Amino acid sequence: MQLTINRQTYSITEDQEIRMLVWVLRDQLGLTGTKYGCGAGICGSCTVLVDGKPTRSCLTPAATVADKEITTIEGLGIIQDGGEEILHPVQQAFLETQTPQCGYCMSGQMITAAALLDDNPAPAEEDIIAGMNDVYCRCGTYVRIKEAVARAAEIIAEESSNG
Amino acid sequence: MAKEKVKRKISRREFLIAVGVAGGGLLLGTKVGLPFARLKVAELFDSGAAPGGMDADATAWFLITPDNTVKLFIPKSEMGQGVHTALAQIAAEELEIEWQQLEVVQAGTGQGLDDGFGTGASNSVSTMYQPLREAAATMRQMLRIEAARILDISPNALTAQNCQFISSSDKSITYGEIAEQTQTWEIPETTPSLKSKRDFRFIGESAPRVDLREKILGKATFGYDRRLPDMLYGATARPPKIGSTLKSAQPGEAASRTGVVKIVIEDDFAGVVAETREQAYGAANALSLEWDTPKIWQQADIDALVTVGQGKGIQIQKEGDPEKSFAKAPIIEAEYRTPMAFHAHLEPQSATVDVKPDRVDVWAATQFPVRLREFVAKAINRKEEEVFVTPTFLGGGFGRKIGTEAAVEAARFSAAVGRPVHIGWTRPEDFHNGFLRPPTHHTFRGALDGKKIAALDHQQASGAVAFPFLPGAFKAILGADFGAWRGARINYHIPNKGTTAWLPELPLATGWWRGLGLLANTFALESFIDEMAFAAGVDPLEFRLSHLSADEIGKRRRDVLETAAEKAGWGTPLPAGHALGIATSTDVNTVVAQVAEISVTSDEIRVHKVTSAVDPGMVINPDGASAQIQGSIIMGLSSTLVEEVYVEDGQLAADNFNRYPLLRMAQAPEIDVILLESGDQPFGMGEPPIGPIAAAVANAVFSLTGQRLRSLPLKFT
Ligand code: FES
Ligand code: FES
Repeated sequence: MQLTINRQTYSITEDQEIRMLVWVLRDQLGLTGTKYGCGAGICGSCTVLVDGKPTRSCLTPAATVADKEITTIEGLGIIQDGGEEILHPVQQAFLETQTPQCGYCMSGQMITAAALLDDNPAPAEEDIIAGMNDVYCRCGTYVRIKEAVARAAEIIAEESSNG
Repeated sequence: MAKEKVKRKISRREFLIAVGVAGGGLLLGTKVGLPFARLKVAELFDSGAAPGGMDADATAWFLITPDNTVKLFIPKSEMGQGVHTALAQIAAEELEIEWQQLEVVQAGTGQGLDDGFGTGASNSVSTMYQPLREAAATMRQMLRIEAARILDISPNALTAQNCQFISSSDKSITYGEIAEQTQTWEIPETTPSLKSKRDFRFIGESAPRVDLREKILGKATFGYDRRLPDMLYGATARPPKIGSTLKSAQPGEAASRTGVVKIVIEDDFAGVVAETREQAYGAANALSLEWDTPKIWQQADIDALVTVGQGKGIQIQKEGDPEKSFAKAPIIEAEYRTPMAFHAHLEPQSATVDVKPDRVDVWAATQFPVRLREFVAKAINRKEEEVFVTPTFLGGGFGRKIGTEAAVEAARFSAAVGRPVHIGWTRPEDFHNGFLRPPTHHTFRGALDGKKIAALDHQQASGAVAFPFLPGAFKAILGADFGAWRGARINYHIPNKGTTAWLPELPLATGWWRGLGLLANTFALESFIDEMAFAAGVDPLEFRLSHLSADEIGKRRRDVLETAAEKAGWGTPLPAGHALGIATSTDVNTVVAQVAEISVTSDEIRVHKVTSAVDPGMVINPDGASAQIQGSIIMGLSSTLVEEVYVEDGQLAADNFNRYPLLRMAQAPEIDVILLESGDQPFGMGEPPIGPIAAAVANAVFSLTGQRLRSLPLKFT
């Protein structure tokens, strides 16, 4: 079976297919940016994009996402040939607003925010809250996440008006 | 690595200099020499206690590399509180270097010097501010002497900037070049003068966090992320109920499971090492185990134990004679309770351990590497000198990552299989096998004399906080658990006042939590002060202001109270259905006042805004400080509104977030932070702002509804 993760193809042996995606990513493929927090679909730390939709990888058997595009935090930005990373607007905004504290929830936050902005590039505050409400942050960065998502929307708008 | 000689040995005991030259560079360490006696006194006076009883040891050191960067080695763990950044700012200031010329390195126990304090109790910056500046200034001076020698000019003709010395005649030499060209260092007899505050370039500025770029890229290595070649996964059998002990263990069906590398059965310990974590967990569940459970505990049993008057009470504060006043005036009484709470750091306990014949390497999300080393060494019968602990980033700590369990389990497994083993607890394991914030019970008696409090007595019962982690002798000397009563003493100027702490023995483990007892004690005390204000018929802000002491700390408390009240619009009209509540606390000498603006709709409390004025003495990084205040308020609000765990049929009722929800974004208020500075010494920032929030909300609820809610989480029943 094959998985397409961050525009790259990985071959997965049969015994991996029944595993939850979070462990295949982390333990099998070494993509540890996707985090485990609860294993029950509640905290959102394990969120990845599956065909652009935010998906809890702790409840997603690898076999069910075989023909889909998976994006993890490691693939949210773009890595150029020279190895230089171009940050996704969401990453840029989270950095600018100095949002992460411990950072553990942040992959899930940024992935969720990227999907939200993809759907709605100019979200109102209520839209941000509705879109981000199901991802926990124990360090209590909610105030800044709101700012960061709003800022990311601005960056996206600036970028598209610049061409 | 050649050891270099020093010309003179430094006389000041705070420094540990001339460790030698490593990779052509100069190493210089600083030691925080808080003697044991002072530490104990500090704890007794509530002012910056460390998780005490351990040696205070070196806490930072530098390495100048030939390519002209300065590495700052910090044994303090970064768990989101921004400590690496704050300490880097302090060092960069006196070193006269640019931000990008400094690199922060997380030090492990194998590198140089130990940190006997661990990271916690909001003491990292306050204990290191002065020593780190002095060490950096000393190193700058040592570099200056050698620069002058190499350039053959007077040291006074040189100016330090940009990681180099330049002279008026345009000669220059970089720190890296000096380090390379110097064999023997001269150590100043006295500490060179430190920069004056008005010349600061880094201290007091919102420097960007040094750890954030790797965190937003998903590249930061947490304890849960550490991977080694050939690594296996371990899973440990867990007691089914509180107090269960392992009676017998057999491999049972686990032996035939795929992927199983080894079944480890030792005294009171059984588990499985396997190729994948799912295989390890599956097989651990298939072990054939028998447990002894002497008693099935219920929450009512716990509440009965945690009740004022049960066990031994120790008076920790007494001024005047409250009993005399109570005999003369009507007594106002109330009792309060707070529940147990999880830390709920999103990264469960984790560690990776590689036990080899000659050394043991440990990578773990730990707040206390030195303690972890001791526990690992003991568990697998190795010498502490053979065990090397490297802290990873912590996915939240909040006190719980002083724990050693995951690393001890990984060490036992790795010793059994001779390969590296990773342990990453599941959420249910983390909830059921750790320690909790202790439950508390409080009773108050107060008496008024006109509009002032004549007497106030606070009786407080709480499960242990610091004692489970201290040597027995310490407990005997102290009597009362300073962690449990943190925030319980009455700071107001009241002629007759007393506080007594009761410490029950509980069947389940309790311990450190963000702010220790601060949130629970402040909730009870500051709610009761509001009750007294109401009884006296005085505005709660006025009432507090009229009970402040006339000294320096009283003035600082007045400033935060007045500032928070004014910014929150205290006494001005609010939107219909809204009300304000105010509360204050003092912790590690940082004073905090918060005003909460709330409304209540169909019995649900909505917190719209929290205005928080904080005086931490001095602010190193305003943006970092504001992040800590925001975080403390959200975590405290989560305890105020939603968090609670209880015992049901012998086990904690919640084993995941479905039965223990945390506060979400939709419940988060707007937060207005005001930072006040009152001096030249920074106090703590990571915990103090969690103090007043619960009381501020409860007081607002009373103001709006006339109902006094006396237990957490706040609920109308
Ligand atoms: S780990 Fe998947 S939602 Fe918590
Ligand atoms: S930043 Fe620590 S959990 Fe969100």
